[in-house]
Amino acid sequence: MIGVVLVGLFIILMVIGIPIAFVIGIVSLLGFVNIPYIPEAMVPVKMLNGLDSFVLLAVPLFILAANLMNSGQISQKLIDFSLSIVGHIRGGLAHANILVSMLFAGVSGAAQADTAGVGKILIPNMKKQGYDTETAVGVTAASSTIGVIIPPSIPMIIFAGLTNVSVGALFLVGIIPGILVGVGMMVLIYFLALKKQYPTYQRASMKNFIKKFLDTIPALMTPVILIGGIIAGIFTATEAAAFASIYTVLVGMFYYKTLKLKDFPKILVDTLTLSSLSLFALAAASALGELMSYYRLSSWAEQFFANNIDSRWLFLLIIIAFFLFIGTFMDAIPAMILFIPVILPVAISFGVDPTLLGIVTIMTLAVGLVTPPYGLCLLLAAKIGKLPIERSFKAVIPYITIVVVVLLVIAFIPGVAFYVPELISPDLF
Amino acid sequence: DRVAGGAEDNGDIKIIAAHNQTSPENPYQYGMKEFERVAEKNESIEVEVHAGTLGTSESELVQKLKLGGADVVLVSPGFMSKTGIKEIDLFAMPYVFKNYDHWERVVDGKVGERMAEIINEKSDNDFKLLGYWSAGVRHYYGKKPLESIEDIDGMKYRTQTSGVIAKYWEATGAVPTSVAWGELYQALQQGVVDASENSYPYFVQQNHHKTENGKYITETGHDYTTRFLLINGNKFDSYTEAQQEAVLKAAKASVEKEREVVKKQEEEYKQKAIDEGAEVNQIDREPFIELAKPIQNERAKEIGVMDLLKKIRELKKEG
Amino acid sequence: MFIKWLEKIQLTIGVLFLLVFFITIIIQVITRYIGVSAIWTGEVATYSFIWSVFMGASVMLNRREHFKFDLLLNKLQGKSKKTLYLINDLILLVFTFALFYFGIIVTESFWNFTWVSLPQMKMGYVWISVPIMGGTMVIYTLAHMIQNVRNFSKGEVIE
Ligand code: NA
Ligand code: NA
Repeated sequence: MIGVVLVGLFIILMVIGIPIAFVIGIVSLLGFVNIPYIPEAMVPVKMLNGLDSFVLLAVPLFILAANLMNSGQISQKLIDFSLSIVGHIRGGLAHANILVSMLFAGVSGAAQADTAGVGKILIPNMKKQGYDTETAVGVTAASSTIGVIIPPSIPMIIFAGLTNVSVGALFLVGIIPGILVGVGMMVLIYFLALKKQYPTYQRASMKNFIKKFLDTIPALMTPVILIGGIIAGIFTATEAAAFASIYTVLVGMFYYKTLKLKDFPKILVDTLTLSSLSLFALAAASALGELMSYYRLSSWAEQFFANNIDSRWLFLLIIIAFFLFIGTFMDAIPAMILFIPVILPVAISFGVDPTLLGIVTIMTLAVGLVTPPYGLCLLLAAKIGKLPIERSFKAVIPYITIVVVVLLVIAFIPGVAFYVPELISPDLF
Repeated sequence: DRVAGGAEDNGDIKIIAAHNQTSPENPYQYGMKEFERVAEKNESIEVEVHAGTLGTSESELVQKLKLGGADVVLVSPGFMSKTGIKEIDLFAMPYVFKNYDHWERVVDGKVGERMAEIINEKSDNDFKLLGYWSAGVRHYYGKKPLESIEDIDGMKYRTQTSGVIAKYWEATGAVPTSVAWGELYQALQQGVVDASENSYPYFVQQNHHKTENGKYITETGHDYTTRFLLINGNKFDSYTEAQQEAVLKAAKASVEKEREVVKKQEEEYKQKAIDEGAEVNQIDREPFIELAKPIQNERAKEIGVMDLLKKIRELKKEG
Repeated sequence: MFIKWLEKIQLTIGVLFLLVFFITIIIQVITRYIGVSAIWTGEVATYSFIWSVFMGASVMLNRREHFKFDLLLNKLQGKSKKTLYLINDLILLVFTFALFYFGIIVTESFWNFTWVSLPQMKMGYVWISVPIMGGTMVIYTLAHMIQNVRNFSKGEVIE
């Protein structure tokens, strides 16, 4: 009964425009009021404790690294390089948009920074070249989701922290699905471009290509340093995020010379404000998660699944559908904080490998980045392209179908994602 | 008043009991389940056991105990001394206990009683001790076996971060390093740290013994660990006499059960580690023990428990 | 004017803590690499991080930039829009006041708890970030409401 009331309240508060993080906080506060023997002070206690985890420090650090890349115009270098590879294909700029998201993904753990940084440059450019706005916005937003699938990835780090799954294993398992999504989107663009006769660039000469490539190497080294540093044991995932920032500062200031000291205050403020949004939501979600513990939601869920579902396939489908729905109005991080502790024991009892649960969850929640009403990458891209949300969402649907298809393939044929990583680093699995 | 609450109108009480381990096979869970089983023989008592669901961090459990978000919790000395009861550090010092027999003579005897009084007085009755549990014996495990105390020199060593423990390992020449428990598997796998320490049921469950830097186990036995089973004293006082008796009886039963399971599991998980390729060796503990003495003395003086430390040392000779 | 000043101070504090934890993490890696023990880094970094998040969250409430669905707010015009903003702010006021009030309770309760790696440091220094966040959020929300009431009959909506 109280559950129904709280869910109803959640919806009402959300609809009248109370910020999501506060809706979560208010609902949990009222939930605690309803349990007479538990003090309401549990809300701030849990909010603070929810942030008391070293792993979470990776969130602002990766956002900092991405902000530094955008300020240092490293994004522009990546775009030029991508154009020299795929520019000559029909719809070259759109292909470059996807490729640059894949490269950016190797540096950044967050998807929004890619939408903002790359979108600001490419959306106006695509419009100028005669792409319709729908395509420009759709490709930009959808391809940003690759940012959390290809490592490093903030949601992966959070998932690992919640479940004790190895961060390294999740990182490795994300690479192939991320590439599949990117290639799938490019194939889609290719046919669309043929139909709409989108322009091409002249094929880059070998000399030009090599020049662009050399110019990009310092930027492309970032993922090598990051992933390599973690695998080689130089630092943990959180520390790696800090070093990615330092490396980006060095490259931006001393190699490209595009990053100036006077840029730093703004970069730091942007990093603080942007990351505190998701992290405050996460803190509030911790309080709500606590409330769910007192109501014993996870043993209830375990029983429900045990009594009603008898196949792990069906279980996985339900989880995917559930997170697709949750992702429409919630960030990946608070969604995982709330539901992974409930779902994990059930998944294990169904024989679902936690690492598989991780990659499936993260890809599903990545779709939430471009689904309304609350999809950050969609909102950002729509704003840059000056396109209404409804039309932007329509534009994005073909591309997210590809994410969903890849996601289903991984869920039911895990070998696609797991085979190679297990060969490379069997100890991690 | 919520703190003294917990009792419903008809006098029935609900006890929220929590520990920080999520595995249903953990000794803590056996102990808490036993507590639940025995306490609920009194029909006015309902016990709700939370295995990690009210937080996997012990400092959070202590906060909840104080505020009334949980009624019975299990805490280690490191986090208890955080609450300002420094005396508790006595039980956290390396090599203060010689073996399980010695540990039991201490905690189940006069010293244990005195510590229970200190906890209750210093916390202003927020915490009342119900019994002493164990989290096993902690040993070294790392990238190479220790043959003598010198072998640990210069090793990046993940230990607990509380003062006296870090200080001891620094004295051995090791480099105590802070790595979150959740990141430790990775850190051992990839060589962020060279070694760590814990008891068999804990590190074997996390597969640390399968990592590159965790497969050589040396039985240093530096810590026969103490865990405090605590109840909120104010709540306890609000129970009826029959309920209080039932709780105390349940606590006693849980103590026996938990210690039995922990010892059994140490054997099981040691065997599991060996079966899965880890190597176990013994070491002469004397140099380690000698090195610990001045550090124990210094800390005991600081926190004013020199008399208790002496008693503990006397109890070593008996038995 | 006071609000602008308060926001600036709070933002500065947040950025400083961001820098502290960033530098601490670098120190952690370097000290480990050269074999020096710096076991305090974990706690210093995490607690600074908590401070910076809470300060940032408060500033973003003042800027009304926390994520929300504005479909309904955008559909409404004039006085009905202002009324909805007032209702929302009133709800936020109650909740942020609760954060402030319970924040004080927990800060008092845990004031004398100490850090594990640095026992000379009190946990109170960490917990007090909660009532400071709650209190400043109350101030910002009140300021929003006052501004909205003042301009209620005028044309534009103050967001
Ligand atoms: Na990424
Ligand atoms: Na969404």
